[in-house]
Amino acid sequence: MSKKKKMTYYPGCSSEGSGRHLDESIRAILPDLGVDIVDIDDWNCCGASVGHIGGGALPNLALTGRNLAKAQERGNQDVVTGCAACYLNTHAGNEKIKADVKKRRVVNEALAEADLSYDDELDVHHVMEVIVNDIGMEKVEELSTNKLKGLKVAGWVGCQTVRPFAGTEAGGKYATYEDPTFLDDITKAVGAEVTDFSPKTNCCGGSVAVMKPEKTLHLMKTILDAAVESGADVVSTPCPLCQTNLEMYQDAINKEYGTDYNMPVVFPSQLIAVAMGMEKEKDAGLQRQTIRSQKLEDMAKK
Amino acid sequence: MTAPIPTSSRKYDLNFARWVRDNVEGGNKMNMCMQCGACSGSCPIGTEMKDGPRKIFMMVRAGMKEEVLDNSTLWNCTSCYRCVVRCPRGVPVTYILQGLAALSAKEGYAPKVSNNYFAKFFWMSTAKLGKTDERLVTTAYFFSFGLVEGVKRSLANLKIAFNMVKAGRMHIGLPHTIKDKKGLAAILEKAKEIEERS
Repeated sequence: MSKKKKMTYYPGCSSEGSGRHLDESIRAILPDLGVDIVDIDDWNCCGASVGHIGGGALPNLALTGRNLAKAQERGNQDVVTGCAACYLNTHAGNEKIKADVKKRRVVNEALAEADLSYDDELDVHHVMEVIVNDIGMEKVEELSTNKLKGLKVAGWVGCQTVRPFAGTEAGGKYATYEDPTFLDDITKAVGAEVTDFSPKTNCCGGSVAVMKPEKTLHLMKTILDAAVESGADVVSTPCPLCQTNLEMYQDAINKEYGTDYNMPVVFPSQLIAVAMGMEKEKDAGLQRQTIRSQKLEDMAKK
Repeated sequence: MTAPIPTSSRKYDLNFARWVRDNVEGGNKMNMCMQCGACSGSCPIGTEMKDGPRKIFMMVRAGMKEEVLDNSTLWNCTSCYRCVVRCPRGVPVTYILQGLAALSAKEGYAPKVSNNYFAKFFWMSTAKLGKTDERLVTTAYFFSFGLVEGVKRSLANLKIAFNMVKAGRMHIGLPHTIKDKKGLAAILEKAKEIEERS
């Protein structure tokens, strides 16, 4: 990519709470990788996985409509987000509105209440898709001058980053649903070591894990079992809810199953930031792990 | 997981399948289901569901509205979309379950279902603030089980909360909000009105 790409960034609610380190590391690495981002002005929540129940289908879609109308004001053709749920809702909503004239009409009828309208044909992308398709793994490798030599990484993709869109035309066709390789490719590009970890696309329980952890602890245990067995130093995942769930429920898992897991769970964007020689706190957000990886922190240059 | 057996005392709503087809997103593809069970077999949390998606679809066809709308299958779906990508007949399973869950909440079939409380508090935060306040939604959810249970659940999560505050991942102070709260409220109000009129 010779010229810098301009994209409109949708940070999502977790960027101001549990997923701050995802947001911070994305903001740190994208410009150096050749993608300038500017936030959607006054963005709102996407509705996540329960908005349709609490608010109804059309009000839930109107949340996405408002974000897209505000994104359109930026004049870029592409919207990018790092959050799996934000991506899923915004991408799905956008495709729905673009494909259905009637749907666009009713969404715009609601948006008119705030003098907004979504008339454009924007595309919504996931950060991982942008790294694979627009930036390219070679560029990540080239700029990773501080190779994370000896760090063993279990790549856990989770669900909504790749399902149900990663293999579709509109989703950028950058990964398969059952055996996506991009996360391991990033691990290799930053000079770290990929471990033999099979539950790549397993589910942590998502918001059901927040509501009823007792029903989903076994899901997270399967992931931790495999990560530990593979000899990983850290688990790398692109999803903010996966990261928080797997990190914060380790105590409960240890209590329930008599294990003694203390596995750091980081974002690939944090690994890239450290490999690009950026600051470990300001850029990589490593101080925001509740389970910290000394090995990774020691690799940071600054 | 035993399948409900038809009896003469059971109530059937023979229009239910048609209603689902016309009103639930993806419902028009439900007639493609050939009962192969790839969905239920792929479900990460199938063991926590009374019937699972395959049986739910058969029950919709049979007109078992009550049993479908009052079913843990709708509420324990984690939205992992594995069934969607694996269905050999292209049935958007997750979307249909989500639509049925929304219908269940709307029709009052889920007054005591905890996920329904969670969804309500989530929407309150989103509609009022424009953003999800992770603290408010979880705390309100904990106390929806009553004061004693609320205190118990909050205390059980105290260490997590403390760690998150320490890591700067739990916001302290007033909630984050969007600037144009009034505009968003008007949009959502109008969207609700449109949905009800159609």
